[in-house]
Amino acid sequence: MVLVVLPVARLVEIVVREGAGTSKLILSSPEVRTAAVNSVGLSVAVMLLAVPLGTAMAVGLRHSDVPGRAFWRVAVLLPVVVPEFVLGYSWTQAYGRAGFTDALVGVHWQGVLGPGGVLAVLVASTAPVAYLLAAVGLAARAEPDLERAARASGASGTTVLRTVTLPLLRPSLAAASVLVFVLSLQSFAVPQVMGAPAGFTTLTTKIYADLSFASDPLSFVEAVALALVLVLLTAAVVAPADATLSPRLRVTRVAEPAGAPFSRRPSASRWVAAGLGSYLVVAVGLPLLALLSAALTRAVGLPPRPSNWTLDNFCLVIDQRSIEALGRSVGLAVLAASVLVVIGGCVALLEHRRFGRGVATMSILTLALPGSTLAVALLITYGRWLAGSLVLILVAYLAKLWALAHRPITGALDRLVPEELYAARASGATRLTAARTVALRPMAPALLGAWLVCFLTALHEVTMSSLLYGPGSETLAVIVLNSQELGRIGPTAALSVLLTLLMAVPALPLWVLSRRLRLRRPADTVPDPTRRENAQHARARG
Amino acid sequence: MTARRVGSAILLALVLLAAACSQDDGPADASDPVMLYTCVDDAVAQAMIEEFELANSGTDVELFRAPTAELNARVAGDVRSGGLRADVVWACDPITMQGLVDQDLVGGWTPDNAPEIPAEYRTADWVGAAVLYIVAVHRNDVPAPQTWSDLAGADYDGGLAIPDPAFAASALGALGYFAGAEGYGLDFYRGLVDHGAVQVSTPDEVTTGVAQGIYDAGLTTANSAYVAQESGSPIGVTWPEPGAVAVYGPVALATDAAGSTSAQDFISFVISEPGQTTLADAGSYPTRTGVSGPTVPVDAPVVQPDWPTIVTHKDDLLADYQQLFGS
Repeated sequence: MVLVVLPVARLVEIVVREGAGTSKLILSSPEVRTAAVNSVGLSVAVMLLAVPLGTAMAVGLRHSDVPGRAFWRVAVLLPVVVPEFVLGYSWTQAYGRAGFTDALVGVHWQGVLGPGGVLAVLVASTAPVAYLLAAVGLAARAEPDLERAARASGASGTTVLRTVTLPLLRPSLAAASVLVFVLSLQSFAVPQVMGAPAGFTTLTTKIYADLSFASDPLSFVEAVALALVLVLLTAAVVAPADATLSPRLRVTRVAEPAGAPFSRRPSASRWVAAGLGSYLVVAVGLPLLALLSAALTRAVGLPPRPSNWTLDNFCLVIDQRSIEALGRSVGLAVLAASVLVVIGGCVALLEHRRFGRGVATMSILTLALPGSTLAVALLITYGRWLAGSLVLILVAYLAKLWALAHRPITGALDRLVPEELYAARASGATRLTAARTVALRPMAPALLGAWLVCFLTALHEVTMSSLLYGPGSETLAVIVLNSQELGRIGPTAALSVLLTLLMAVPALPLWVLSRRLRLRRPADTVPDPTRRENAQHARARG
Repeated sequence: MTARRVGSAILLALVLLAAACSQDDGPADASDPVMLYTCVDDAVAQAMIEEFELANSGTDVELFRAPTAELNARVAGDVRSGGLRADVVWACDPITMQGLVDQDLVGGWTPDNAPEIPAEYRTADWVGAAVLYIVAVHRNDVPAPQTWSDLAGADYDGGLAIPDPAFAASALGALGYFAGAEGYGLDFYRGLVDHGAVQVSTPDEVTTGVAQGIYDAGLTTANSAYVAQESGSPIGVTWPEPGAVAVYGPVALATDAAGSTSAQDFISFVISEPGQTTLADAGSYPTRTGVSGPTVPVDAPVVQPDWPTIVTHKDDLLADYQQLFGS
């Protein structure tokens, strides 16, 4: 109610009260129709590419024998760390005219500034979300015993994947599809930077154009009306999916997951590493290299040779104000991610009831709203008491990112067996102990994944915090936005590089924590057949 | 602990935090800090506030700075949740400011020293504090355009970028000027399209694209182009005939702050000689005659758009333009 219903209701009220008679005209204009078709078409295309890609990465990295697995698992998440508009710039710099590949081998991608480029960057930036959800799904839902049984019965690896692994992953994949679709629908910076030169408009770019002239109340109403179209589009896609698919996709856990996944030929793992490496070089490596080059080079357009290198861009962004803003951003992101995991868990628990499914669908509506419109909605609803405060920015994060926390958790929740909780209680455990020892353990990967994706997204959220901040509540977003203007790409790139490096700080304890959680699983104490079989392979080769 | 208790605890924590952090939004008086809403460059806004506070000890200025779209969204949110929270609004173009005047949110007052600013930069509701000049930027290996119409020539075939007037008010100012200028009109833009010109979102993107080598030339703001050029980007900047298009950023008093002498003092300071010198030192072009700012070539021609006409015919102008470039 606080995070979704009231703010959206206030937007509806604005359109009804201030846009009476004009809303129909706005919505029936050919430009709006084109923008809506572009938005939906783009989001569907991104979903169809990013979800299989993320799932393939998660399945590929599931086996511990993939060379450099720890590195790959962090590397695939890198696009989430880089702010969206910087990712767009780095792709242009890597593959556009006069970019990296043009300078190195004389080849550039003409279509990088157009729908093709927008699609590619959005796939690269949302695939990690799909990967995270699929990986969480594999950690929480996989049935290695079933897979081994299928292999023992003569099924090929592909058949096992198709008939055992992927069906078990369906709830996680459904959650990933919904999130990727909505994240693409609400994406603004990439279509704006990369789509504009080809005349490719989406609803979000149209909304921003309207806000640019929103000192005229009619333009403001048009922006709000278009934002509500996004909400309706999301509701039209997600609500039927939630209502019909959610109950059917649940799979009851047949037993405690035991052991590692079935083994495969060592050469397969090497192929996985090679494939991942190639993808990451293209999707992340070269663009990030371009970003680093922009951060280190004195000016845009100069060749990135040592004589043009400087640390000035880094010095420019590391000052007292940036450090204070960073502190606030990290604090807000930690608080938001932690609260969101609690809220997401609560909603996931409610989902077994019809009312709960409605709440779950509702939670994704605010994710579809562009940050600028959601911020206005919150300002209108709570600004009287909270304007300019960190609390309002926190509420904005909670409203916007709720679905990002809830969907991964709900994708794993049906693996809980209520009888085990009753058994723990009957044996004298307190509610807290029962929850901690019985429920939290199988849910830990999902909770951790949800926390991580919320934390990363909140940390570099730009639009809402730059619109809602006040004296003493500047976040990193304000600094990013300031350096982005006046064509100063260097400082923005430096800030993004620092942000990427900064991710190592929370990533390290999280990695240690996830290892400890895995080690505490009794399943891991049973002999790992993969290792044994790999050893046999090795002996046979030797 | 039940889910309801957890929910209550979170709600209580939020309310307590809100109480601790929320601001008093009562009417401004002399002892209250001045709340400034602006879209001008952060370095300019910070420098101006610092100098003003030094000159007026005891008066604090609080800042909300964001690009025009976010600034408009913030104002719209304020208006619908208790009223505009700014005492002073410093916009980046007259179109935005006229919209606020029409809503009776700002205006009705200008400082006593307003006549020291050229008449083309002020009205009865506001006074211009800074100017953006729309100029031509080009890569060093292509010829510099001497006139604006040169850009529709073969030298820039397929390599010209212009900012989108539906995103950037400065680009709309240029569109308004060319649409009404003799020998130009919308045919000028038609010529650009015929030679393969592309539209990007903002003037800064034009500068970056030309500096990167994605485009050969384009229309951008002088500030953006000179910052890139001075830091070493391989680009040239020209002020083509009949002149660079001047887009001024007006500053106005909020109607709810009509009695705030601090807010009035701030506006007077911004357009005073010390204020304009501060602005120029921070890298912006002053409106005040006699204060030298960033680079302006000798005898650089400057033209003024007809702002009242642009404000009145904005939608028609954009619709005609979008017939050529798409929305």
